[in-house]
Amino acid sequence: MLELRNVSVQYGSFTAVQNVNIHVHEGEIVVLLGSNGAGKSTVFRTISGLNKLSKGEIVFKGNRIDRYSPDRIVQLGIVQCAEGRKLFSRMTVYENLLMGAYIHRKEKEKIKQSLNHVYELFPILKEKRNDLAGALSGGQQQMLAIGRALMSRPKLLLLDEPSIGLAPLIVEQMFQIIKQINKEGTTILLAEQNAHAALHIAHKGYVFENGTIAVQGTSQELFANDNVHKAYIGT
Amino acid sequence: MEFFIQQLLNGLTVGSVYSLVALGLTLVYGILHIPNFAHGALYMMGGYVTLTMMSKSGLPYWLAIVISMIVIGTLGVLLERLVFYPLRDAPPLHDKIAAIGILLFLEAFAQFVWGADYQTMPTPYGKVVNLFGLTLTAQRLLIITSTIAIMVLLYFFLKKTFIGATIIAMSQNREGANLVGININKVAMMTFMISGSLAALAASLASPINLVFPGMGHLVILKAFVIIILGGMGSVPGAIIGGYILGFSESLGATYISNDYKDIIAFVILVIILTIKPTGLFVRRGQS
Ligand SMILES: Nc1ncnc2c1ncn2[C@@H]1O[C@H](COP(=O)(O)OP(=O)(O)OP(=O)(O)O)[C@@H](O)[C@H]1O
Ligand SMILES: [Mg+2]
Repeated sequence: MLELRNVSVQYGSFTAVQNVNIHVHEGEIVVLLGSNGAGKSTVFRTISGLNKLSKGEIVFKGNRIDRYSPDRIVQLGIVQCAEGRKLFSRMTVYENLLMGAYIHRKEKEKIKQSLNHVYELFPILKEKRNDLAGALSGGQQQMLAIGRALMSRPKLLLLDEPSIGLAPLIVEQMFQIIKQINKEGTTILLAEQNAHAALHIAHKGYVFENGTIAVQGTSQELFANDNVHKAYIGT
Repeated sequence: MEFFIQQLLNGLTVGSVYSLVALGLTLVYGILHIPNFAHGALYMMGGYVTLTMMSKSGLPYWLAIVISMIVIGTLGVLLERLVFYPLRDAPPLHDKIAAIGILLFLEAFAQFVWGADYQTMPTPYGKVVNLFGLTLTAQRLLIITSTIAIMVLLYFFLKKTFIGATIIAMSQNREGANLVGININKVAMMTFMISGSLAALAASLASPINLVFPGMGHLVILKAFVIIILGGMGSVPGAIIGGYILGFSESLGATYISNDYKDIIAFVILVIILTIKPTGLFVRRGQS
């Protein structure tokens, strides 16, 4: 479904991502692991068209998309819930969700359905629908960011550290919700520090180190890999 | 008492013009994140285009205004495409310098084409009307009513339509807007179009009272800056309310203090408000 072929990305003269190959099949949950600054968000930003790659190509459903503008990529069905959430902080929760459905703006009925679906996944958003997004707690903002991404009915959902800032109990719930979204037919590419929980729901993973892929394999393989285990999973 | 109400009406008239100019300025601020110093020059050009349409092409006042709004809106879009868009990744100082450059260019252009003289703009609404025992010219009534009508339209556009909301979304989070599938280039162009049209409308409405000349935008734009600082940079309701507060203060100040000091009032208010509430009057909770 999505393929990154020998992708390199630079910030000025600094190469943040080098010769990366990633393959995501339809229906999968794929996780990118790696410590701070390894290059996960850079890969996500490049897929979404916010950064331009300096080498390689990105192919989605058979078409090269690495020269497309970010809004065009969203229209293809690749939607990102980005690092830093990027919410509209002075709009209400409801308005934020509505903006998430921007590409379906002509289809009122569809928007209503998506809205109900998001409210079902995150009941707190329904409760707070008339509050300003900027007035939510960090965890609630994270839920809103994911909810807003779902409103566009993505085929491929990119989640950049969805568990960040969430209480341990909520993290567990969040991963269950991600699994559910995937079961409902959305392919998911996930960046995570929380390797243990992420590998539990993922089909396969890539481990980033200094902008390159150090290890890759199925979740079982990564669990079994001693180095990975020591570095990212702990005990 | 009647005299007082008369002054309030004057304030409403002046405030309407200020609000229209400040609205355009605040919308573009949300997109560029710099104050557009060239906005006063767009106002001035709007006055001249309307005047020329009336005197050279013999068009009626209303039609001249509509054409002027389209011309100046398009000029705004051109500025966005040719000047501000190429500078999008440059440091903010470059935008500011470019805006000042546009201002100087447009003023020199106006002087070259239309001359430096003060010109009067005729209006079909010169008659004096009586309204609940108050007397005012039909032109003032026109300024007040059409401004309110435009603001209501703009409110619905920004608040109730998806396309309008993209402007607000982009001003609050540019990448966030991009990531929900909004084409931010289109939004930027649309915003400059609206901003330019509002400036042209304001100038066309005010000119029959204030005359048309190359420097007509100076004082107006300075005051519009005061207004958007008062109202909170980028805030739409702030620009509207700030515009009227300034209009009223000036008109009451001119009556009860001195007409000579009325243009200073804006800056006195600015100093007072920034001392008491440095973030501006209308910064809402949740704003980062
Ligand atoms: N805008 C930028 N300009 C210059 N360098 C950048 C920029 N953004 C990221 N980098 C650099 O690129 C490298 C990769 O950063 P990236 O944000 O992709 O890491 P990450 O894996 O997402 O880390 P984290 O887990 O902390 O979010 C880092 O060394 C970072 O310093
Ligand atoms: Mg990151």
